[in-house]
Amino acid sequence: MILKLAWRNLWRNKRRSFITIASILFAVLFVVFMRAFQLGSYEAMTRGVVNMYTGYAQIHLNGYWDDQTLDNVMPYRESFEDSLLKVDGVKSVIPRLEGFALSSFVDKTKGTLVIGANPEKEKEILKIEELLFDGEVISSADNQIMISEGLADYYKMSVKDTLVLLGQGYHGMSAAGKYAVKGIIKFRNPTLNQNTVIMSIPQAQWFFSTGNQVTSLILEKEEFTKVETLVADVSKKIDLNTFEVLDWKTMLPELVQSIEADNVGGVIMAFILYMIIFFGIFGTILMMTAERKYEFGILISIGMKRIKLGMVILYEIVFLGIIGVLSGYLLVYPLIIYFYINPVRFEGEFAKTFEDLGFEPIIPTSLDPAIPITHALIILIIALVLSIYPNLKIQHLKPTEARRL
Amino acid sequence: MKNLTLFIIVVFQSFFAISQDLTADEIIKNSEEKYRGKSSKITMTVTIERPKWSREMTLTSWNKGNDYSISVITAPAKDAGSVMLKREKEIYNYVPSIERVIKLPPSMMMQNWMGTDLTNDDLVRETSMVEDYSAKLMGVESIENREAYKIELNPKPEAAVVWTKVIIWIDKKEFLQLKTEFYDEDDFLVNTFIGKDIKEIGGRILTSKMEVIPADKPGNKTIMQYNNIEFDIDIEESFFSTQNMKKIR
Repeated sequence: MILKLAWRNLWRNKRRSFITIASILFAVLFVVFMRAFQLGSYEAMTRGVVNMYTGYAQIHLNGYWDDQTLDNVMPYRESFEDSLLKVDGVKSVIPRLEGFALSSFVDKTKGTLVIGANPEKEKEILKIEELLFDGEVISSADNQIMISEGLADYYKMSVKDTLVLLGQGYHGMSAAGKYAVKGIIKFRNPTLNQNTVIMSIPQAQWFFSTGNQVTSLILEKEEFTKVETLVADVSKKIDLNTFEVLDWKTMLPELVQSIEADNVGGVIMAFILYMIIFFGIFGTILMMTAERKYEFGILISIGMKRIKLGMVILYEIVFLGIIGVLSGYLLVYPLIIYFYINPVRFEGEFAKTFEDLGFEPIIPTSLDPAIPITHALIILIIALVLSIYPNLKIQHLKPTEARRL
Repeated sequence: MKNLTLFIIVVFQSFFAISQDLTADEIIKNSEEKYRGKSSKITMTVTIERPKWSREMTLTSWNKGNDYSISVITAPAKDAGSVMLKREKEIYNYVPSIERVIKLPPSMMMQNWMGTDLTNDDLVRETSMVEDYSAKLMGVESIENREAYKIELNPKPEAAVVWTKVIIWIDKKEFLQLKTEFYDEDDFLVNTFIGKDIKEIGGRILTSKMEVIPADKPGNKTIMQYNNIEFDIDIEESFFSTQNMKKIR
């Protein structure tokens, strides 16, 4: 009975209901749209950074991440790799041996990152083949190296020149060698592009005297697998006293922090939007209460309980809220999906800055269902809080005065 | 001549129990001469001990006076042929696999040599305890049941050294360097050198084994074991040349 009354009341004054619904609808539209873009840009950024070098998760010898020296290498076994590939969500396992060495050509020297990598397996991460700038890609049997474009530019080197590398290897062994440059890679990441030497894993193992060992195994995940689940599943498979499994959040705390810092800005924006929405809805409710003062007076006079009248008003507002939120979804979802498929693409100078940093110059939206759900709930709560006002009015209404127009 | 001085000292000491007749500088000088000689050829084994692993290498070095020294690594195979040369104040490094002679700047002298606890400076002994430090005799202490002078060394203002304080215990009888402690500018102990296994080697009584113990890294140690020493060999200054670095084996 009360529900029916509330429902009918809504349609008694269509224009008033419509205004309230519209204010809620736009609130949902704005907040969800804004957050979808913001979180979408974080996802794109994470994907960009993570897929450039570190990968979503890595396995090392326990303690390697805190003390990244060649003394903390771990044995590399095919059987270990196979057992990891059996874990759900692991798409591929990419071994890497990373170290540092001083490089020299003619009369210049520079500190370089030496990466022992498998070009075949690095298709998704280092993208050695895709980013080839000059020359050829090395094979695992090669005793030649590839250098980054920035390093080649620093030395004014080209393919077939010989680079001298000097450093310290496993257990303090000397690591020294002369290597012909077979290819030049243009990395998108500026730091990586400036000083990187890539050699095959067997060659790097010889250079650093590590034997058949590597510093890290990178885990590539299937697209819809969550990193957290992947790390948890892999952790169950391996001996955590010997190895460590780290996700990108641990390995790239700067990225997490910059996202968090930016996100605070987004949350503040959302809060301001909510304040506006709050007063918008409050305004319409205020109007409605004033308009219906006479009606309330009559109803109370003819014996309707104040509690019941309050319930009617509460239901009315909940109805308005639900209709507003649902119609907001109907409007915002096609937009979000459209921009997910056709993300905002930057052009010109701005796009170049993005590309230099190794990101695609796009801002897609996020399809995370958590966004609309949380915001719908917040708006419903706002509507409920606001329904306190007409209820208070009803409780203190003096029918005799209210009927006097 | 030196043997005579030594003899006199020994005689002197037997007469006066607490002999203060030798100055700290003289003690240091005697000791340095004992270890260095006019010239020498030394083969030694260096063992690096770490909590999780250890590694050995052997090297041969030729020395002439304070100014000339050349040392070549003979094992393991991967490091073999790597040469360090000191000519007066200049230090060079030759790495055969890259066929390059590298001149080490003074700033690199305090860096670790080949992953050991030794610095490049320790290896070529560029700094001289007599020339670069002023010595002060602190008294006589017993180290491993041997009477030893305790001497504090402080760098002279113009000396290019990093230690602000070195305390050395030198055996009274044989001028052996039994123990040396190196302190940094905050007066913290950084390294301890311990001379062990006293025996005759190359015709002299010497500590045939030296342990280097860094204070801040428990479980880390580098041991230098002298396998053979030939003192006062006939060697030309031209032997200590960058050209010879490439030929020496």
